[in-house]
Amino acid sequence: MTQGNPMALLPLLLFMALMIAIGFYVRRSQKSGNFIQQYFIGNHDLGGFVLAMTTVATYSSVSSFVGGPGMAWQIGFGWIYMAVVQVTAIFLVLGIFGKRVALLSRKFDAVTVVDIIRERFQSDGLAAMAAFIIVLFFCGTMTAQFVGGAKLFAAVTGYSYSMGLLLFGLVVVVYTTVGGFRAVAFTDTCCAVMMMIGIVLLLYYVLSAGGGYTAVITGLEANHPEMFEPLSDGHMPVGLYLTQWILVGICTIALPQSVVRGISYRDTKSLHHAMIIGTVVIGFMNIGVNFTGILAHGILTGPLASYGGVDNIIPSTIVAAMPQALVGIAIIGPLAASVSTISGLLIVASSAVVKDVYLHHQKKRGIVPSTQKLRTLSMAATAVVGVIVFFIALTPPSLIWIINMFAFGGLETAFFWTLLLGLFWKRANRLGALLSMGGGTIAYCLTQGLGFKVMGLHQITIGITVSLLFFLLGTYLGKPEDKKVLAVFFPEKD
Amino acid sequence: MSEYEKYRQVCREAVWTGVTLLVLIAAWLVLGFGLAPLGGTVFGLPVWTLASTVGFWLFAVALVALLVHVVFRDMDLGADDGEARK
Repeated sequence: MTQGNPMALLPLLLFMALMIAIGFYVRRSQKSGNFIQQYFIGNHDLGGFVLAMTTVATYSSVSSFVGGPGMAWQIGFGWIYMAVVQVTAIFLVLGIFGKRVALLSRKFDAVTVVDIIRERFQSDGLAAMAAFIIVLFFCGTMTAQFVGGAKLFAAVTGYSYSMGLLLFGLVVVVYTTVGGFRAVAFTDTCCAVMMMIGIVLLLYYVLSAGGGYTAVITGLEANHPEMFEPLSDGHMPVGLYLTQWILVGICTIALPQSVVRGISYRDTKSLHHAMIIGTVVIGFMNIGVNFTGILAHGILTGPLASYGGVDNIIPSTIVAAMPQALVGIAIIGPLAASVSTISGLLIVASSAVVKDVYLHHQKKRGIVPSTQKLRTLSMAATAVVGVIVFFIALTPPSLIWIINMFAFGGLETAFFWTLLLGLFWKRANRLGALLSMGGGTIAYCLTQGLGFKVMGLHQITIGITVSLLFFLLGTYLGKPEDKKVLAVFFPEKD
Repeated sequence: MSEYEKYRQVCREAVWTGVTLLVLIAAWLVLGFGLAPLGGTVFGLPVWTLASTVGFWLFAVALVALLVHVVFRDMDLGADDGEARK
């Protein structure tokens, strides 16, 4: 399609302008003080609502808004039943790690998850490995978000893929670079609100165009009775439910982009509020968007192949159901999901390069870089990582969606036991963490590469099991950590 | 709270968060696979479709609110309470 819809472009342009404005506003309102703390963690100043929204928005990617509801259209209520396990993701990460990392980060002036891992296990090698894994897998995930967002933009507005990428891709790189973590948190909040507005709008127009709720459900019962069964006539095997609990539920607590939010909030009241608000919002989004996907059967009545696959279901629905004047607002929701995930990952990837690698190296050499130098380097690192990913997305690898889920599982394999056992088990030691992170990640990547599965389950089950076994093996073979370090992490009764 | 008391409280909160997860997994199984064979409809949909999605979500929100109010405690995130922050 070469003829674009200018009506669809205007709301998007306004939204992107707002994002940029927030980035510059945050930069202007920065107080004097520790630049690294401000840029990478927002100076421990997030309130409960913003903390909840930024955690949800970073977690909810464009695939939650495009691929997910497309699958719900194909599978039925079994898909929502599976997707709803994600309501556990926010309260779990904040409840288990929220206060632990907040307390520890203030002891060590830590601004990254890697900082805490380095202090706990006293290992530069482990910290370097963690930083490398973060940058590598985050680049894969960010590329997938860029590609997903730009494809959706092209399908819905009629403008080109490259134009979509330029429009929202460069915007997210600019506001993240300029405003740092605080800008990411505030823009994430706007994005999450827009996602919810987009879902409500789309749901309303899908029902309206489909002839109303009763007509759509009656049609579904007549034509697709299997969509009302949990196993969907074999399309939703029990094994898929199990792996989804692990992959997008329980193990998400170890995603560094989620854990780092535990360092960023103001006080424990904010954390408590965020646990409740986050659970409300993530449930609303997951159920709302996937239910909309099912109801789209009222409009898209042909076979899946006639729409070009599940990823085209939501774009086709938006085009078919929404009035031309509102298409631009409807598309902001999924694009906001893409933009908020990219910004959240970009700032953490940048902190891995600047704080975990460069600054640590300088500190070991006894060099203290000036604030101006740190400011320039931090912004440059954010911009460079963003631009590299942007260019990869211009000519995307064909297996990009596989890379996205691959990266998700890889991060969980690498960090789950290292963080969980490292922060709550006194005996956990350096060798265990090294073997777990390295061995688990290699096992996960190898089995993914070879397509090897156990009982047909996703390779995350192999990665997480191998990672645990290596952790236990290393812990029993290696030396206990230094008593002084343990005393800081596990205080004794006076 | 002393450093030790904070650590104990944080561990307690983490454990109860894990317990909440286990309760939710059980509820998810009962509301979905458990109710599916029983039949009955609400708003034209089989009971399990609403119970295992909207019902599960509302139950999760209520349980998290209970967890936060009963188990979680406010604490100073800096040094020991009453001690100047270094």
